[in-house]
Amino acid sequence: MTNMNEVASQPGFGTSPHASGVDLGQVPAKMTVRDVNFHYGDFHAIKSIAMDVPEKKVTAIIGPSGCGKSTLLRIFNRIYAIYPNLRASGEIILDGENILDPKYSLNRLRSKVGMVFQKPVPFPMTIFENVAYGIRHHEKLSRSEMESRVEQALRGAALWDEVKDKLKQSALGLSGGQQQRLCIARGIALKPEVLLLDEPTSALDPIATSRIEQLVEELKKDFTIVIVTHNMQQAARCSDMTAFMYMGELIEFDRTEKIFTKPDKKQTEDYITGRFG
Amino acid sequence: MNNPHEHIIKSYDSELKRLTGEIVRMGELALAQLEAAIDVVERRDERAAQRVVDNDDALDALEQEVSQDVVRLLALRAPIAGDLRNVFAALRIAADIERIGDYAANVAKRSIPLSRVAPITAAGGLANLAELAADQLRNVLKAYDEQDAEAAYEVWKSDADLDEAYTVVFRALLTYMMEDPRNITPCTHLLFMAKNIERIGDHATNIAENVWFVVHGEPLVAPRTKRDTTASPDFDKP
Repeated sequence: MTNMNEVASQPGFGTSPHASGVDLGQVPAKMTVRDVNFHYGDFHAIKSIAMDVPEKKVTAIIGPSGCGKSTLLRIFNRIYAIYPNLRASGEIILDGENILDPKYSLNRLRSKVGMVFQKPVPFPMTIFENVAYGIRHHEKLSRSEMESRVEQALRGAALWDEVKDKLKQSALGLSGGQQQRLCIARGIALKPEVLLLDEPTSALDPIATSRIEQLVEELKKDFTIVIVTHNMQQAARCSDMTAFMYMGELIEFDRTEKIFTKPDKKQTEDYITGRFG
Repeated sequence: MNNPHEHIIKSYDSELKRLTGEIVRMGELALAQLEAAIDVVERRDERAAQRVVDNDDALDALEQEVSQDVVRLLALRAPIAGDLRNVFAALRIAADIERIGDYAANVAKRSIPLSRVAPITAAGGLANLAELAADQLRNVLKAYDEQDAEAAYEVWKSDADLDEAYTVVFRALLTYMMEDPRNITPCTHLLFMAKNIERIGDHATNIAENVWFVVHGEPLVAPRTKRDTTASPDFDKP
C-alpha cells in the first residue's frame, strides 16, 4: 500500500483538511494508478493517468462526454478485457499488486473490485437469487449462511426493509431506484474492497438519487468507492476527492471542496461552472 | 466578471452581470451620498442635509434587491467556484455599502444642529477626512468593477492613513473642547461625524477583502498597522 503522504507534495494533490475534518493527505491509497494509457484500436482514449484513490473514501470522476472517465473506471476492473483490440498499459496497484498484469486473475479482481452500471440490470430471477447468484459463483455456502449473506447485502444496500417480504418475487418488479440498490447489493454481496459506480443515478428520480447518495455515504465506511457522474452537484455532495478529466487526460485531482470552490486549473473552472472552454 | 469565458446558459451570465451592476450602482450612490453629506456640512444647508438623509432609503432598497437576487441565484443556479465567490461577495459587499450609506446619512443629519450654532474652525479637518474616505470608496469600487485584487489591496493598506487622519481630528476636537466649554456641543457632533467617516474607511477595507477573495479564492491576510490610537489608554499622555 502506498502511503499518500508520499504523493501529498505533488502538484494537484490536496493536503489540507477536508470539510469533514479528515486530512486526506493522511489517508492511505487503496489504488495507485501510474502512467495508465488506454487504446481503443488506434484511438488513444486515456493518456498517462496517475492518481491515488484514497482508501474508504469516495472519489468522483467528472468530465464531459467522451473524456475517458467511464473508460478509466472500466480499466479499474479490467472489464474492457471482454472486447478485442482494447489494451491498457501502465500500472494500477491494488494492495501491492498490479491488477493490469495479465497474471492477475480476472475472477480474483472482480471479487475485489465490484461495479454498478448506469442502468440497473437485475437478472430475470428472484430478488434473493439476484444477490445469491454472484456469491455462489465465488463461494460454497450453506443455505442458512447464504440467507444471512443475502440479508446482509440487502441491508447494506438499504433495500432490506422494502423487499424482505418478497424475496421470492421477480426483481424485475422493483422500481428503478430499488433495482439500482439491488445491483449495489449484488456488488457488495461479494465483499469487494473497491466499488465502482458508473453514473449510478442517471436513470433515477431525485428521491431515488438521494437514497443512493445516502447509501454511498454509508458504504464508504467499508469500501473504497469510485463514482463516475455527469451530475456535478452529485460529485460535490458525495465525494471526498474529485478528478476532472478532459480528452483522455487527468486535468486536476484534488479535494472535492477545493475543486468546487477554487480549482487550480482554468479548464476545470470552465467545465464545472458551465462555460465555453 | 473575472472569467472571460461565457456561460453556456446565457441568462446565467446576464443574472450575474445584473448583480455586479447593482453593486456598482449601490457604490456610486453611497459615494454620492458621502460627498453630498460633506458638502452640506460646509454649506450649512439644512434642507440639502435632509435630502441626503431621505436618499438613504434608495440604498436600502438596492440592498434588498441584491439580497433577493443572491437568494434567487443560489437557489436556481447553484453557483460554484468563481461564480459562487462572486455571488457570496456581492451579498457581503452590499451590506458594507448599505452601512456606508447609513454613516453618510448620519453625517448629514448631524450637520443640521451644527449649522444652527456659530461655525467653528475645527470643522475643517472633517473635509480632509471625508476626502480620504471618499477616495478609498471610489478606488475600492473601481477595483471591484475591474476585479483588480492588487488595487483592492492598495485600498486595504491605505486605511491606515484614514485612521491617522481621524486621530488628528480627534485630538484637535478635544483641544477645542478643553479651550471653551461652549465648543462642546458642536465638537461632540463633529466627533461623531469624524467617527462615522472613519468607519466608512473600515467598510471600504471590508469590500477590498471581498474583492481579494473573489479573485484569489482565499482571505486577504497580511499585517496591517492600525493608526487610530484614540482608544489607547495612553492616548492623552504626552
